[in-house]
Amino acid sequence: MSDSHDDHHDHHNPGFVQKYIFSTDHKTIGLQYGITAMCFLLFGFYLMMVMRWSIAYPYEPLPGWMSWLFTEDWKAQWLSEGKLPGETYNMFGAMHGTIMVFLGVVPLGFGAFGNYVTPLQIGAPDMAFPKLNMWSYWLYLVGGLMMCASFFLETGAAKSGWTNYPPLSFFADLQHPHQFWTGQTQWLLGLVMLISSSLLGSVNFITTIINLRAKGMTWMRLPFFVWAMLVTGFLLLLAFPPLEVAGIMQVVDRFFGSSFFQPSGLYHQQIGLSDASGGGSPLLFQHLFWFLGHPEVYVLLLPAIACVAEIIPANTRRPIWGYKSMVYGVLVLGFLSFIVWAHHMYMTGMGPAVSAFFQTTTTLISIPSVILLTCLLISLWGGSIRFTPAMMWACAFLPMFGIGGLTGLPLAFNLVDLHLHDTYYVIGHFHYVVAPGILFGLFGGVHHWYPKITGRFMSKTLNHLHFWPSLILMNTLFFPMLVQGMAGFHRRWYNGGDAYLAADPESADVFGKTVLEHIDLNIMMSWSAWLLCAAQIPFIISLFTSWKVGKKVESDNPWDACSLEWATPTPPGHGNFIEEPVVYRGSYEYARPEVEEDFYAQWRKPVEKSEEG
Amino acid sequence: MEIPYIVEPRKDTGLNNSKIAIWLFLASEVMLFGGLFSGYIFLRIYADYPWPERTLPILPGLINTFVLIGSSITVVFAWVALKLRQWRKFQIYMGITILCAALFMVLKGFEYSAKFSHQAIRLDDYTVIEGHAYPQEGQEKKITKNFNIKASSLTLDLRRVDDVYFEELDEQYEKGSFHLGEEVVKSNQPLDKQGKVPKDAEKLNQGTAIDKGIVDQAKKDLLNAVAHNSNIDIKLGRQAWKDVKRSHPGVKYYELVQTTQIDPDNLHHEVEVDGKKTLKNIVDEHLKVLKKKFVENASKEEAYRTVTPALTFVPKGEAFISVNPYWGQLKNKKEGEKSSLVLKDGTTIAGLAGDSSITMRVDGIDFRHTVTKAEEKGITAEAAINNSWLLKDEGMKLIWDKHLVVMAKLKEDLEAKGKEPHENDLYRINWQEIAGLVDTSVGDLEQMDYKAIKALFPGDIEGFTGPNHKTVKYPKIVVPREQVRFESVFSPRWNTYYATYFTITGLHGLHVIAGALVLGYYLFFGRKMYNENPTWLANRVEVGGLFWHFVDLVWIFLFPILYLM
Repeated sequence: MSDSHDDHHDHHNPGFVQKYIFSTDHKTIGLQYGITAMCFLLFGFYLMMVMRWSIAYPYEPLPGWMSWLFTEDWKAQWLSEGKLPGETYNMFGAMHGTIMVFLGVVPLGFGAFGNYVTPLQIGAPDMAFPKLNMWSYWLYLVGGLMMCASFFLETGAAKSGWTNYPPLSFFADLQHPHQFWTGQTQWLLGLVMLISSSLLGSVNFITTIINLRAKGMTWMRLPFFVWAMLVTGFLLLLAFPPLEVAGIMQVVDRFFGSSFFQPSGLYHQQIGLSDASGGGSPLLFQHLFWFLGHPEVYVLLLPAIACVAEIIPANTRRPIWGYKSMVYGVLVLGFLSFIVWAHHMYMTGMGPAVSAFFQTTTTLISIPSVILLTCLLISLWGGSIRFTPAMMWACAFLPMFGIGGLTGLPLAFNLVDLHLHDTYYVIGHFHYVVAPGILFGLFGGVHHWYPKITGRFMSKTLNHLHFWPSLILMNTLFFPMLVQGMAGFHRRWYNGGDAYLAADPESADVFGKTVLEHIDLNIMMSWSAWLLCAAQIPFIISLFTSWKVGKKVESDNPWDACSLEWATPTPPGHGNFIEEPVVYRGSYEYARPEVEEDFYAQWRKPVEKSEEG
Repeated sequence: MEIPYIVEPRKDTGLNNSKIAIWLFLASEVMLFGGLFSGYIFLRIYADYPWPERTLPILPGLINTFVLIGSSITVVFAWVALKLRQWRKFQIYMGITILCAALFMVLKGFEYSAKFSHQAIRLDDYTVIEGHAYPQEGQEKKITKNFNIKASSLTLDLRRVDDVYFEELDEQYEKGSFHLGEEVVKSNQPLDKQGKVPKDAEKLNQGTAIDKGIVDQAKKDLLNAVAHNSNIDIKLGRQAWKDVKRSHPGVKYYELVQTTQIDPDNLHHEVEVDGKKTLKNIVDEHLKVLKKKFVENASKEEAYRTVTPALTFVPKGEAFISVNPYWGQLKNKKEGEKSSLVLKDGTTIAGLAGDSSITMRVDGIDFRHTVTKAEEKGITAEAAINNSWLLKDEGMKLIWDKHLVVMAKLKEDLEAKGKEPHENDLYRINWQEIAGLVDTSVGDLEQMDYKAIKALFPGDIEGFTGPNHKTVKYPKIVVPREQVRFESVFSPRWNTYYATYFTITGLHGLHVIAGALVLGYYLFFGRKMYNENPTWLANRVEVGGLFWHFVDLVWIFLFPILYLM
């Protein structure tokens, strides 16, 4: 509560609505973010499962278990004899990407973990601006729901890919009498809301980290998690506005008929010559979009690395290796991420000089990324590792993210990208980063902080049922993508390449024969995807049942960790700390000789020299 | 624990929370406007049309610049007054600040409204004419640019037909007494056992007049029928694949197999047929069998339903339809020729194109684009202009001849200084020039020198927001629609310069309004806080003032870029 007249109340008993719905407490907001984001993730997953049916079995009607979510009218409009037509596939593809990136992973990593953990780790009572924090969540929710509700509009949801390139997106739904009620416009307005939400969030995070650190919490004593959140905050703060501009420009193009992104003489097969002035540039949109788009990748990644960086030292019982190099690494990473964007645009004909510049910066950015990963890897060396559920996920994160990162290197090179651009190789690469990489890190985070949030542990058995199938299926799902991509499979084929294959061995169609060699992988990948969904069920069960029936924690610091969030009561009440915390040392002081225990918590008063003597 | 440093600064950072937040917020705003300015630079560099330079009236923008700078100063005085705990002074200075904001927006409003009532047309040969559009013949006063068509048929796409469009045009439909040309089977009627429309199916009779109720019902029936049929298709499709997969285990889509005919009643009893086919072909054939069987056995409830996707109405006698140009496209715009008008909701009106010409009084002629286009083809500027459609009009030709005299004088004038006229001068006649030349003859002009001619043109005060059609009688022209390549008022639609101008100044205007609201809140509702915690209020005003300075700074960049360059 920031109102002055509330300042002198030490205890307030807010009503249900204020406590759980329009809450200003960073912990409640964090949980709201987490649960909402997970719901969006599930929905995005569902869209992908339907798409994978069309890829594996393009001629067969969708099975009943997949289409039960659709209404009768919806099926009549968007399915053709029960099959997924290209237009519907595009809609699902565009929304899958949008939902996973903007509504799923970012809010889960930054919104949920960032909100819940950051103030606890720096010893703050709450975020600097609790009301802004609440607004940030509600803007996100409304923006997200707007986008998803557009599935039920006459035009359906947006269909122009999550990148929303004009002039494709300009023509999308253009022939509708009421521009406001089209999927494309709702997508743009939803995006503007999401960006406003992340603006409020990032201002709040950075202010909190700068000004609300507890006594003794100097910069180099901050947990790496907080550093990662600080950098993420700056990325959101500075990279998102250009996309907001691009979104506003597209809205102006739609509502007021301007031509920011429409070149002269634009022609559409059905509409004919476009009734727009022309003179604009589609390339301008790509620049504005990717100026956000690339920092966005690190907005996705850093919270996951942050979680892993907390899990590993707590479970190896030794300090994180190279804390300082990680901190400087993440700062450099944040800076470099602003000057690599055009490596997404090698195919637009920017010219060799520009391409060479972005190729250089892109290869440079792999250095800080490798520093982060290597430090985490070396941190395992010589540790007495406890394979807690969180640690299993963290350990899986390292090689999986490694594959994701290393498969990205070839794409940085202009020449190689000419071949790999827009193929399944790219899809495989960034899904390795996001799904078994980032999501594994975040799953680890859920297991790590769950005892603090609820006072109970999540089920170990259910975690095994979740972890092992997920690990295997992620690889059987994404590795074949790399193979297919190198064979030239395009990422937007709605029928999985069926239209291109040459079944006749005598055929002179070389590409068709290559497609034939790799098309059967589609079936394996699709089944992996559907089974992967089943593998998430134990997690969902565990997430909700452990709240009531999980094993109770015996102390406020169940992992014997050093950072400040474990100094709070379990679960932390309003205002977090009972007494104002004081910090005496860094946050990874494990296995120190001064104390008997193998950890020397940040808030523990220094042991007197004489006692040791 | 309570949140610290709300009012007092933290010692090591020297800042309170909101000070940090506002600087971060402003950094984000810099990126926002930075994105827009980058867009402006990008679009201007890559523009493939003559970029409008110095076309906005400078005076209102200049006044606005000083108004905003002034308000930035008073907002600091207001903050100082609070620091010194002088409430009265704070009220005065803050009041001035907010009045400045209001004045800024009012001037902006004048500028905007002048633009929105100013018409421009890009002709087929890329000549641009500017001016005020006048009502079309035989139309109500406000209609200036409608597409007019003499309709011989009207087809409604029932899936997409839009209520607003229909209601807006309903009066015109009734006037033309549109009715169904022929009998139409209603949607959602069950088919008979041969899969055909039964004789007793319900119909819409020939001659049924167009009516909202009928259209709505037909739309509803259509959607129900499509949903019903689609359900049958899905069911049968699943069945077909299940059958075929069972009889061809492990076969892939692309494999060629010996075809077998499947007996749906006895899957193990298969009949061999010659030739090889893929699984998909086999399913298609099997599906045909399944569908036939379904049609033969289905009860009236289950059977496939009729689908009537469109209704075609014809008028009795002559029917004129007049439609807003943004609602659809007129395929052939030449008056009297066969044409069709397709609206955005799929409604198609076929017939003969009517008179859709645009009448306007011209206050600007621009041949620059014509010249660039002609030069690309190796045609000289002079030839291109002389052959242009516009100069076939006598009034326009007269203006152009006068302009040539003025240009000759300008050349003489500049040659003395060792300079040459700019293409903006040569190929563009702006409103000041037309206003100045409209009452003089070619003969008179030849007697004068350039300075004297220039004195005829209206000055800055006279044209505060642009040409005034009340005081000057600008020459009139009627442009047939087929000569119009593109038309628009001076809105974001007209070209990327105006799109940028309106988007940036519009966003800036929203910032001005938001800033004024926040500062106004402190002014009108700040007294309570002033009494309780004046330091906090001063902090807030300081933060608001920082934002206000940013808004001012944006304008200081905007003014030269949009008005002077």
